[in-house]
Amino acid sequence: MNKFMAWIDERLPVSNFVRNHLSQYYAPKNFNFFYYFGALAIFIFILQIVTGIFLTINYKPDAAQAFASVEYIMRDVEWGWLIRYMHSTGASFFFVVIYLHMFRAMLYGSYKNPRELLWLFGMVIFVLLMAEAFMGYLLPWGQMSYWGAQVIISLFSAIPYVGESLALWIRGDYVISDATLNRFFAFHVIALPLLLFALIYLHLAALHTTGSNNPDGVEIKKNKDENGIPRDGIPFHPYYTVKDIFGLSVFLIIFTFVVFFMPELGGFFLEKDNFVPADPLKTPEHIMPVWYFTPFYAILRAIPDKLGGVLAMGLAIFVLFFLPWIDRCSTKSIRYRSSTYKTLLTLFVISFFALGYIGMSAATPLLTWAGRLFTLIYFGFFVALYFTSANEKTKDVPDRVTMHD
Amino acid sequence: MSDSNKPSNRRKFLTNLTQVMGGVGGIFAVIPFLSTMSPSEKAKSAGAPIEIDISSLRPGSYKVVEWRGKPVWVVRRTPEMIENTLEENDILSDPKSLEDHQPSYTKNKYRSINPEYLVLLGVCTHLGCSPLYKPNSKSAELGLDWKGGFFCPCHGSKFDLSGRVHSGVPAPYNLEVPPYYFASKDKIIIGEDGESV
Amino acid sequence: MIRLLAIIVFIFTSSLSFAASGSIPLKPVLIDLNNKASLQRGAQIYVNNCLGCHTLKYQRYVKFIDHLSLSKETIENNLIFTTDKNGEPTKIGSLMLNAVNPDSAKEAFGVMPPDLTLIARSRGTEWLYTFLISFYQDDKRPLGVNNALYPNVGMPHVLSWMEGLKKPVNLEKDQYEYISKGTMSDKQYRKSVTDLVNFLAYVSEPAQLDRYRIGFWVILFLAIFSFIAFLLKIEYWKDVK
Repeated sequence: MNKFMAWIDERLPVSNFVRNHLSQYYAPKNFNFFYYFGALAIFIFILQIVTGIFLTINYKPDAAQAFASVEYIMRDVEWGWLIRYMHSTGASFFFVVIYLHMFRAMLYGSYKNPRELLWLFGMVIFVLLMAEAFMGYLLPWGQMSYWGAQVIISLFSAIPYVGESLALWIRGDYVISDATLNRFFAFHVIALPLLLFALIYLHLAALHTTGSNNPDGVEIKKNKDENGIPRDGIPFHPYYTVKDIFGLSVFLIIFTFVVFFMPELGGFFLEKDNFVPADPLKTPEHIMPVWYFTPFYAILRAIPDKLGGVLAMGLAIFVLFFLPWIDRCSTKSIRYRSSTYKTLLTLFVISFFALGYIGMSAATPLLTWAGRLFTLIYFGFFVALYFTSANEKTKDVPDRVTMHD
Repeated sequence: MSDSNKPSNRRKFLTNLTQVMGGVGGIFAVIPFLSTMSPSEKAKSAGAPIEIDISSLRPGSYKVVEWRGKPVWVVRRTPEMIENTLEENDILSDPKSLEDHQPSYTKNKYRSINPEYLVLLGVCTHLGCSPLYKPNSKSAELGLDWKGGFFCPCHGSKFDLSGRVHSGVPAPYNLEVPPYYFASKDKIIIGEDGESV
Repeated sequence: MIRLLAIIVFIFTSSLSFAASGSIPLKPVLIDLNNKASLQRGAQIYVNNCLGCHTLKYQRYVKFIDHLSLSKETIENNLIFTTDKNGEPTKIGSLMLNAVNPDSAKEAFGVMPPDLTLIARSRGTEWLYTFLISFYQDDKRPLGVNNALYPNVGMPHVLSWMEGLKKPVNLEKDQYEYISKGTMSDKQYRKSVTDLVNFLAYVSEPAQLDRYRIGFWVILFLAIFSFIAFLLKIEYWKDVK
């Protein structure tokens, strides 16, 4: 075995890679609950790729056959229902995990110097993931697929001068049609996954260059022992591999519970209207995007102007890219930051949930006004953060990480 | 890392147990994925047994029907044809049909339930072409010693009127007999064993 | 942190239920897919009363062997009444189709009767149950009946031979009196409708019969695995000080 590995290593640095990225990659020893979600996101990405491949085997990207082929997978293909539910549930869980992963970065300032690029790659992944999920949602060709896509693509028509032609170009037809379905299929199964794969690689490469942040926001590389090993670091393997195995197995309990016992999750993961085949002549009573888009959808609806709404929605995502420069406080972790930041972040989280709820409810006058208020809070967070973070009263950051249980 | 030079027994045990359980779980998780590739309910339904009416089949003639996307031949053999199939033992590679390419109830010298009716899967055992029915003896194409049978145009494999392969041709074994039974005198069900089996 | 997650899950699962808006409240119905006798009766009612107009175009008869514990012969003799394009009885492996001509159906009912394979998932079982017990006499409608849940529906009261026909005393308060008798009492009719809805719930997602059962074992396995993974993590993390 050793001889074999030596043979390989002369030609491909496998052992070296394992050392650099696992057994001698030193991660801070004080990771908490929020640090499971990076590994979980990679797990779900792989799960989506694998289940996706097996769905493609039986799915037909054809407006006349798509809906029936999904039912075919659900009934006639052996175990097809399980693969399909894993994929549909996986999509929603991907966003749960990614949102928690992003929230972690906001809690502990993981986007700050020297990790700005890491954050930017992550944001591109997030945007690509939204595109991936949106296009995937058209494929079952149910009513919600159809009308959801109709609404979202119409957003592009709000752009002055070129909007209408742009929307037409995206659809490849005057309405959402077979042409749209076919191109979305191509993007969903090959183009975007390839891009995601590349971006995830860059995200990880950037992470392993700077090393992980941690709940104390202490740079462990600044305090090394005589062998050049960070005093607060532990090798990723075995310590974080065993920890992540535990995290993954608990995650799988929750995940499989949904897959086996409530795959529709009361209409959140699979919407009732999507069990009706797409009908271009009949709009469902209540169109809403899937839950993970609803916060942004609520911002869209809050602005009583088509172009303004689209711009606000775009800005709500775009502004996140600039978080490393909006937040000017040098202290990373919320543990040592001012109560101002804690208040702002709490308000931001509340507004995100509130917008999520408003985005999935029918528009009543009260909710429209609530939507405007929370949109204001959402954007207000960034404005207030920019002005308060420059001269924030922070606590002293310790030299070494602290361990909590 | 300090302890990892000589891991404790508990650590070794737990590591092994996690690996074994993870492996078992992994194997179980793989099963559904691979199963999706086996024939679906739709394919099975399309491949369900078929019924053939043989009342109109005259002696010496044959009929091709499709079963599971493959040609199935039903030949009504004349007494002379039946006799011919018995003479050729020396030029056949498996005259007694010892190899398992037919259901047990057709493992006889006529390779059929009723010698008058031959049922065969019309797929050459060489590379899957469909052989041609050449019932007449002494054809110009197949030589003076040809006693009727099947000839594969792709690579020249020859089979006798029971679907037994000649020796010295590319096809490795006899033409296959699909499962079938007589539902009545004039009706053959192909794709299913009869109840007596 | 766990508490935070629990709250998130709670908000997501509790806040909304997308009941199709009808004019009367939906009535509860007991769905029990383990009750094979009920599913069998439901299937019988369906093929005799509904299949003529409403296909189940993703469901295969042959599935009833495993799912409804029926024999091949019972299905062929008692549930398959249709013929294929050659005039032969429909094969057991076939989908549950019918011979409705879309044009003449549109003329008779105003719309093509929808396929009902997934109706229990898109409308919900309570909606179906309430719909089927809410037909009443209304001479203003072309077919002489109306529905309290789905006003002006194009569908006739196909099951009136079982239920009889009722006319409203007070529509808002859901009070009726029967003007003609069917073959069943009110209680028997509601039981039959329950069987039918139960059958449609099964047809909408046959995987339900498997997934609860398999899910139990999967989660049991994962729970044990998590426990061992937890012990393993603790064991390794003894090193970390």
